[in-house]
Amino acid sequence: MEAHIASTTQVTSRFQDFWGVFRKNYMGLVGLGMLVTAIFVAVFAPVLSPYDPSSTQDVTTGDIYNAPSVDHWLGTDDAGQDVLTNFIFGARVSLTIGFFAAFISLVIGGVFGIVAGFYGGRTEEVLMRFTDIMLVIPDLPLMMVVIALTKPSIFNIILVIGLLYWTTTARVVRSQTLAVKSRKFVLRARSIGAGKGHIIRHHILPLVMPILVVQAVLVVSSAVLAESTLSFLGLGDPTALSWGQMLNYAFGRGAMSTGAWWALVVPGFGIVWVVLGLTLLGQGLEQVLNPRLDTHHLMPSRPTVKSEAAQRSSEKSLLEVKNLSINYISEGKPPARAVENVSFTLKEGELIGLVGESGCGKTTLMLGLLRLLPSAGQIVSGQVYYKDQEITALSDEELNKIRWRNVSIVFQGAMNALNPVRTVGDQIAEAIRKHLPDFPAEKLPARVSELLELVGITSEHKDYYPHQYSGGMRQRAMIAMALACEPQVVIADEPTTALDVMVQAQILDLLDQLRKKLGLAIIFVTHDLGVVAEICDKVLVMYGGVTAEYADVDTIYNSPSHPYTQELLKAFPDLTKPKKKLVSIPGYPPRLDALPAGCRFAPRCPLAFARCHTEQPALHELGDTHIVSCHLVEAPK
Amino acid sequence: MEGIKGYILKRWQYLLKKITWSLFTILFVIILNFFLFRILPGDPARAGVRDPRLTKENIEAIRVRYGLDKPIINCFESLNPIKIGSCTVNPLDTQFFIYMGNLLQGDMMISFHTNQPVAEMLSERLWNTIVLIGAGQLLAIIFGVLFGMFSAWKARTAIDYGSLTLSLVAWSIPTFWLGIILLFWGSNNGMPIAGMSTPGMSSAPLLTRWGDIAQHMFLPTLTYTIVYMGEYMLIMRSSLLDVLSEDYILTAKAKGLSVFQILKDHAITNAMLPLVTIIAINLGFTVGGVIQIETVFSWPGLGMTTVEALNRRDFPVLQGAFLLIAVTVILSNLLADLAYSYLDPRVKTE
Repeated sequence: MEAHIASTTQVTSRFQDFWGVFRKNYMGLVGLGMLVTAIFVAVFAPVLSPYDPSSTQDVTTGDIYNAPSVDHWLGTDDAGQDVLTNFIFGARVSLTIGFFAAFISLVIGGVFGIVAGFYGGRTEEVLMRFTDIMLVIPDLPLMMVVIALTKPSIFNIILVIGLLYWTTTARVVRSQTLAVKSRKFVLRARSIGAGKGHIIRHHILPLVMPILVVQAVLVVSSAVLAESTLSFLGLGDPTALSWGQMLNYAFGRGAMSTGAWWALVVPGFGIVWVVLGLTLLGQGLEQVLNPRLDTHHLMPSRPTVKSEAAQRSSEKSLLEVKNLSINYISEGKPPARAVENVSFTLKEGELIGLVGESGCGKTTLMLGLLRLLPSAGQIVSGQVYYKDQEITALSDEELNKIRWRNVSIVFQGAMNALNPVRTVGDQIAEAIRKHLPDFPAEKLPARVSELLELVGITSEHKDYYPHQYSGGMRQRAMIAMALACEPQVVIADEPTTALDVMVQAQILDLLDQLRKKLGLAIIFVTHDLGVVAEICDKVLVMYGGVTAEYADVDTIYNSPSHPYTQELLKAFPDLTKPKKKLVSIPGYPPRLDALPAGCRFAPRCPLAFARCHTEQPALHELGDTHIVSCHLVEAPK
Repeated sequence: MEGIKGYILKRWQYLLKKITWSLFTILFVIILNFFLFRILPGDPARAGVRDPRLTKENIEAIRVRYGLDKPIINCFESLNPIKIGSCTVNPLDTQFFIYMGNLLQGDMMISFHTNQPVAEMLSERLWNTIVLIGAGQLLAIIFGVLFGMFSAWKARTAIDYGSLTLSLVAWSIPTFWLGIILLFWGSNNGMPIAGMSTPGMSSAPLLTRWGDIAQHMFLPTLTYTIVYMGEYMLIMRSSLLDVLSEDYILTAKAKGLSVFQILKDHAITNAMLPLVTIIAINLGFTVGGVIQIETVFSWPGLGMTTVEALNRRDFPVLQGAFLLIAVTVILSNLLADLAYSYLDPRVKTE
């Protein structure tokens, strides 16, 4: 009993959650409104209609196809009857057929889908094969044949539509069942020996239900359309005047030649109203149940906010980042400060490690360097310079000339970073064709092979597609692609995270060699301080979007000043002190939309004191190239 | 051509599987078609030739002429399972195998109504339908894809919401009703409104004749385009949105490619792939639309033939038309499957 109550309240709250989202979906609301209106008209037809459709009033030839008037608001039809009255009663026929047919098809499709998905094996094979066959047989001709061979009655029409419109439902329900079946609580129910019927009723069905509802809405609309089409083609029930039947009579009995547009327009309007209402409702429900972001990489990003250019450092640098701040902006919320006031410089041949836990703004910073931010991201202050050019001020065309040609990126998780339908070699060649138009075309294949061999991939692999590569090969191919135009700077955004330790080591080694061989400057992003210890010159430690510490590699490893750097080092195994305990930092980095008021690390900092929780520390310069943001390093008092 | 040869060599197992499956589906349709026309309550000959003046001898003659006097298949005299017939008859002398044999020879009986061989009648009409579908489909795909691309690229702007709404409205309009409305509009504007050509045109010079046909085609094609464009637009939009949020688009952007280059070289090819399947799956519905359009505009194609046969209860023609339509759709599906696997290197071949 208690369990029952619990599940009821759970259902109620789930419905409330759903309604909370749905009421903001205009498409769905409009659709629901349209549908409710139609049902209202159908239910209250006798009250709403001006005439009684069944009365055998004396109709004379003069009553046929009368234009709309005070007596007949929407005119009269081929039998001299009031079009409005027939239209209102037609809603009854059309909707009844639509709903009953949809019900039949949902039951069949639902059972087929659940059984196929739940039992799998032979059963699934047979059921889905049958579904496939039914899916390719054109449905309208089949319905026409069957109804022509039997009798055009409402009952037959409902049955035929119901028996033919279940295929999509079966497929959709099957894939949902498959997804649900492997969830934990279903597996648990099976392991404690719950019967199959019980599992289907209590565990599978409730989760398949939402999809079934969306499907129901769509099937009703198809059924209404199918009925009207059949009726129009002369296969409707002659005793029931549906909208399609009205059109059949009007079209077949001279409405066109007499110019009686009302007899043709009105019933069609009813069909469009109902079908459009259902379609909108279905789309709305779908959006609520499977929300998807309508953002993509080609959406224009927010314009960079121009800020007063700061004094550039006097040294000659390849890439210089000055006080860069990046926000993520979403409507109705305060901006999320993903990167704040970050500066660093990169000189020729230098390798800088950018270190921090996940969610500390590293990737945002890297994307910001080449203005590749998603559409919600915005550079709100600061500058990025490549040599003498201010990237933050360039036009898109000018920026496109620097991208890849001078500064290229190796993305995190190269799994999807390569286009799956073009060969790897082709994608490398594309970069060369784009940026080095004078490169002789006949030498292009040799150059691509050379690049691949540089990263340890044999040249015959250049005509392979990305899915034929292993994870490590893809990552190396990305590096080869990044080197294609001999850029001066390569940004490597966690290029090794998804790979196993051996491959990681290989790739690190490779980058380091290439740097020495080609004189590249590299920004290496990683969450693992240990990874970069051996190869980098400088380290920038980020925490919660701000610079925690920025120094050369010796300072970072031997005398770190920021507690976060110190904690990171404790989490990193030191082979010279095998007995040392590894300590991981408790807690997580702050959420960007809920940053602490004071120092962002304060909640997790073992050395935090009162001031840390209220005041954000400034960036303190300890030496030429040593910056720390911590109250502890202030001049001793 | 080299590519196609290599493709066949590499994937012959996959090809064979797909082709076998299509043949099996066709066989299913043929058998369904045969039995469908025999579950009719009453006698097909009498129902087809509803003429009260027919004498018993006449009806018997018709039955013999259409082979309806023979048992349906071994052991079954008719489809009534209670009336068990002889199992020892020569299978080649049963309705089922005679039907199959005739089909293999391209013989689909004779029309009840015109006495013309059905195969001959239909092959004439098939071409008219293919011309209509071809033109309409081409335009619908071109415009649908263009609008869908634009809508996805400009996602969440007024352009996007506008074209989304229009597509949903177009999708919700019954094809035949749109046809009627356009026909109404056309007839008031002096457009040709029925058939494929103006009577008496057959002696005119070729170009004039073609121009005349093009004029007649305008409204049916327009109807077709509007109805199916909306759907292609929706699919293209959602497919392109998916593709544009993929990592490799960010890679392409980082490579310094322009928006146009990214769309052309990276996004559209990938976004078109699901469209190929959808176009094929849609062919079944397309046929439904064409039947309606042909009926409204009296276009002498398969659809109109089907509806005519329906109204005259001309079963041989109806049976033949259904079979022809179903087989065409199945074969187009096969073609689309193969095209998809050729275009997308990821499709599993096992």
